[in-house]
Amino acid sequence: MKLGIGARITAVFGLGALLLSVLLGGISYFTVRHFLLAGRESAAQQQAFSNASLVKNSLESGDTQYVSLLAQIDAGTGAHSVLYRRSKAYVSSLSVNASSIPPQLRKDVLGGAPATQTYRNATGQAEIAVGLPVPAVQAAYFEVFDLSDLDHTMSVLGLTLFVAGAVTTLLGIALGRFASRRLLRPLSDVTSAAGAIAGGELDTRLDVEAADPDLVGLTLSFNAMVDQLQERIEREARFNSDVSHELRSPLTTLSAAVGVLETDRDRLPDRSQRALQLLSDDLRRFQRMVSDLLEMSRADAGSVDVFLEEVSVSELVRRSVETGIGHMDARRHGTPDVVVDPEVERWRVGVDKRRFERVLVNLMENADHYGGGVTTIAVGPGPAPESGSEPAGLVEVTVDDAGPGIDPAERAKVFERFYRGSASGRRGTGTGTGLGLALVAEHMHVMHGDVRVESSPDGGARFVLSLPVLSNADGGGDDDDGDGDGDGDDDATDELVGETGADA
Amino acid sequence: MSGRILVVEDDERIRSSMRLALEGEGYEVRDAASGEEGLDLFAEAPTDVALIDLMLPGMDGFECCRALRRSSAVPIIIVTARSDTHDVVAGLEAGADDYVTKPFVAKELAARIRALLRRARPAEEEPGALTFGDLQLLPEQGVLRRLNGEEVHCTRTEFRLLCELAASPNKVLSREQLLDRVWGYDYFGDGRLVDVHIRRLRTKVEADPAVPQHILTVRGMGYKLVP
Repeated sequence: MKLGIGARITAVFGLGALLLSVLLGGISYFTVRHFLLAGRESAAQQQAFSNASLVKNSLESGDTQYVSLLAQIDAGTGAHSVLYRRSKAYVSSLSVNASSIPPQLRKDVLGGAPATQTYRNATGQAEIAVGLPVPAVQAAYFEVFDLSDLDHTMSVLGLTLFVAGAVTTLLGIALGRFASRRLLRPLSDVTSAAGAIAGGELDTRLDVEAADPDLVGLTLSFNAMVDQLQERIEREARFNSDVSHELRSPLTTLSAAVGVLETDRDRLPDRSQRALQLLSDDLRRFQRMVSDLLEMSRADAGSVDVFLEEVSVSELVRRSVETGIGHMDARRHGTPDVVVDPEVERWRVGVDKRRFERVLVNLMENADHYGGGVTTIAVGPGPAPESGSEPAGLVEVTVDDAGPGIDPAERAKVFERFYRGSASGRRGTGTGTGLGLALVAEHMHVMHGDVRVESSPDGGARFVLSLPVLSNADGGGDDDDGDGDGDGDDDATDELVGETGADA
Repeated sequence: MSGRILVVEDDERIRSSMRLALEGEGYEVRDAASGEEGLDLFAEAPTDVALIDLMLPGMDGFECCRALRRSSAVPIIIVTARSDTHDVVAGLEAGADDYVTKPFVAKELAARIRALLRRARPAEEEPGALTFGDLQLLPEQGVLRRLNGEEVHCTRTEFRLLCELAASPNKVLSREQLLDRVWGYDYFGDGRLVDVHIRRLRTKVEADPAVPQHILTVRGMGYKLVP
């Protein structure tokens, strides 16, 4: 797994703090221990010296009450003395015995050299033992001091240093997080600005004044990039609108002029009549292409205004099919059946009627050119709505053709622009611009609907249009009988079912 | 059918071709290259229908519409490059009766003009006089007036729309029916024509256009007139 820059910065800060606190803690611990121990050692040695001279004086004066002598020495000091004389050891209390003295120390001291040793005794307690030979009386004096208080101090110190180290490490991590946030904040500004720009707010810029001095370069180049992007988009939109205007004007002239010629068609010689026919047919096709292309470029620019009207879906489909039949070569394929499920007869949808008409006409033409003609157009309820979100659900309009169907691999592609599938060779007299189905998808999306393609039960292609239903109650009156008093809603603002701006 | 048509269009070629096409249909055509020139021509001689391009240099089509509307009830058709912008609604609100989208087919334009001219003449079966609120509608005289005798000025399309609603008071007429009867459009006519004209009509006949008492919206169905 790759760690993010924030996590890495935090980790580096945390590790740094940990190393630093371990180092400082360790140095403090061992330094303090060394000094405390050295102090205790020299104190112990001094005390042992004076006690050893006391023992020497006592023994020289012939005292043989060794034990009471040692008890006298030990009284109130907390230390314990051990005396060796003539290979016998004498102790002052039961808490020590001869074996309490570490063997190495005993060996050294009995060999004639004074020595000091720090060790842990059999019960695990820290002790310091000082051994001094007293050659004048052929004896060796040992004194054992308890170091458990020092041990305790050191363990408290160790715990304190450990806690301090842990806190320091946590602080380091917190600092690391803070630093990484600070460091990354300009980047998150850039991220949110980029998001806003991608969302269409092209006026979004980073604040150069507020930017970190180290990041002014980034800020400036980001803003410059957005400036250029905005300029390009605006130039493109201007270009589209210019093209729109520039193409429409000559087309208007051409169409009006051809109209004049057509009025006088009968007076033209035969050859000219045929030429005029070609001219006017291709002019119509050209007009259609131009308007398709402009429609597409408008959708790209996100500048589509839709006027959605509430209409009966069954009437909408029947009327659109009438138009479609007018566009089709009925002699070739006959007219399609329109089947409306009685359940949806009165369902109402919000559409732009002309867009929907174009959708159905495009599908019918597509079937006519590539699918052997339309067989059936059916209107029925869509899949049951998901729990409560859309109480009215969807209505589906299916257009079946008599062709060989569309290969599943090609289905997603047929809605792409200028896509010509396996049917590309059979262009014939088709008026296809390669945009027909792309426009179908575009129009359906603009009307909050969708389109998909599957195969019909007869093996042909089936295009399925789905639209959200506005109302499926039978309360809505039929448009044609216009019978008197429906449930009058006098809200004048509801005239427009919906008018969405910039809905791409 | 004859009629006098004023074409206001800045593109010289479109102007010439429109003149040719409309003259071919038997109309008498005068044309102007700018809004100002159009208003001058309009003042000079009677006009039956005005065709105004929305994109004009200088005074634009909307302003030209409003200027014509201030002095006249002449039927106006606006010519727009796009039908899905707010231009159409804005043009209708500026006083236009109908619109065509470039590039239009000459026959289509002629059909629109015919429908407007038909409307400009008395309709065949007019409803009888109807009084609603403090207004009196006299279809056979082409007059809408207040009970105190003051005449309410409306365009011929507005008047025709009111007559259609008045012909069957309390009965809902769908947008499609109104489009057919008033404008001569088929099912795919633009419902915004009806909506904007109803809005305009309300400002003239309703005491408070925001809370209409007589011209009511029946949601999802259409409009009805309640005396």
